[in-house]
Amino acid sequence: MTPPTVLTPALADFVTSHLSIHIAASDDHGVATLVRGLGCRRDPATADRLRLLVAAPQAEPVLRALAANGRIAVVFSEPESHRTVQLKGHDAHRAERDPDDTALLSPYIDTLVVRLATVGTPEAFVRALLHCPAEALCIVRFTPDEVFGQTPGPQAEQRLAAGSALP
Amino acid sequence: MNPVLNLDTLRSCLEGILPAGLATCAPDGTPNVTYVSQLMYVDPEHVALSFQFFNKTRENILANPHATVLMMDPDTAARYRLSIRYLRTETAGPLFERMKATLAGIASHTGMAGVFRLRGADIYRVLAMETVPGRSLPPPVARAPLLPALRRSVDALSACRSLEHLIDTLTTCIERHFGIDHQMLLMADDAAQRLYIVASRGYASSGAGAEIPYGVGVIGVAAREQTPIRIIFPAAEYAYSRAIREQLEGGELADRLEASIPLPGLPEPSSQLAVPVRAGDRLMAVLYVESAQQCRFDYDMEDALVALCAMLGPCMCALQADSLEDDSPSPPHDHPVPDATAAPLRVHYFGRDGSVFLDDHYLIKGVAGSILRALLEDHLAQGRCEFSKCEMRLDPRLRLPEVVDNLDARLILLSRRLADRCAELRIEKAGRGRIRLVLARPVVLTAD
Repeated sequence: MTPPTVLTPALADFVTSHLSIHIAASDDHGVATLVRGLGCRRDPATADRLRLLVAAPQAEPVLRALAANGRIAVVFSEPESHRTVQLKGHDAHRAERDPDDTALLSPYIDTLVVRLATVGTPEAFVRALLHCPAEALCIVRFTPDEVFGQTPGPQAEQRLAAGSALP
Repeated sequence: MNPVLNLDTLRSCLEGILPAGLATCAPDGTPNVTYVSQLMYVDPEHVALSFQFFNKTRENILANPHATVLMMDPDTAARYRLSIRYLRTETAGPLFERMKATLAGIASHTGMAGVFRLRGADIYRVLAMETVPGRSLPPPVARAPLLPALRRSVDALSACRSLEHLIDTLTTCIERHFGIDHQMLLMADDAAQRLYIVASRGYASSGAGAEIPYGVGVIGVAAREQTPIRIIFPAAEYAYSRAIREQLEGGELADRLEASIPLPGLPEPSSQLAVPVRAGDRLMAVLYVESAQQCRFDYDMEDALVALCAMLGPCMCALQADSLEDDSPSPPHDHPVPDATAAPLRVHYFGRDGSVFLDDHYLIKGVAGSILRALLEDHLAQGRCEFSKCEMRLDPRLRLPEVVDNLDARLILLSRRLADRCAELRIEKAGRGRIRLVLARPVVLTAD
């Protein structure tokens, strides 16, 4: 029997709703590093995969670790509500960006400007933080195989059963 | 380590204004990423992270101490990666208390009051730091530099020749050179484990004599731990507002609350900073500043006021022992004799706690109360108006502690409290080492 997919429609909708994203990878010496993500969408070719946008110069140590072992952890947080989930996977790898990836960046930033304005972050700050020239944009593709609720509180980082309600 | 990129230059990233990211790695190689509520500057080589919950991050760093932080400058959006190594967790003491207070501000700022509870301050050594490439904003317009303000203040303090002049000069410097509108200076009464206000600026009432027990609020914690406590967001549980009074009134500290002299203070300060004033190991006082503006006092302001207080403490200690000379002329002694036809001022003294009431209104208690009673007793029995500090130090009725008597501070407190409460009775300087009792009405003294 095929294990239930971690990426349920509800979870996929949440993580692709233009949230604040941090991506971590660990090298083969047990040292983890991280970078800010610049967007997320479902992989059109494989429904249980996600495509993450990153700025290649910023993500260099993360991309190197991913190339070594494919292990990834990604946290998605809705700034105005603090609702947060972490996804993990073992098959992360760099992929070629396509025009749909590039087209995602601008609406992603526009939404983050609105979301972060609710917690008092100025627009110019958000645009500087998320700025990425199109030629520097690169894609990390992975299949989430674990999901953890990570909304702040004592229940944070508890594994969520496949298909369970989001925290 | 890059000589330019160091933690001292990145302290604004460590204010907790924006959350940082933290990546850790499990023993099996699985990464974990989370947001850090608080990343705090410890020294140029160490940071502290708040430990609030037992979670995967906690499990990971205990098994594998290497981690990476991604933090950003709250003004420019510049990003930095810190490679850090976990060393230890502190669950009490100055660093823990500083982090706890800061976290209270962050929790309230982020809508997390009631969720965040500090279990420990995790101390990490910073192994390396790098600038993450990317766009950033120009740095904000520099505010007036603090070093000239510090220098002018130190110069002014070093010229003071009496404790009272020192205190007044300090408050003027804080206001004028540092541009801080709301401040209090509280002297420490170590035996009683409390502080009492001797000077304040920026409030409707001076609050002279109002007391704060050690351990309560920003000021009390700064005194107990002898460490500066700074909060840059509103933090209800640390404000000297109704919440603290309720905490005192309802709790075991109830008997230590002196409700008779209301504490001055902003009802809901957005920034607070309390700096202990020490001479050697001894706590002399606490300087407290506050503001209605968020993020008003940054690390640099804390540094400047800590440096100022480091100079203030030994000055205070020296001048308490003996004023070098009276640097202000004593007023001429041409006071009118009290109007014998006026109704006498009823002064009642309670020996139990040294409290004094004037016409049934509370004035002061403790050593300051005992001083006033002794002065009035001698005045009524012997007709004296002038008293030397030397004889006061030897007077058993004053109940002065033997080692550190703080007589000068008590006299300043008493004279200010009288100035606040009673126009017909005051004490003033009468030349070096002497004070004068000035009465505009006859006095009747009773005691029990």
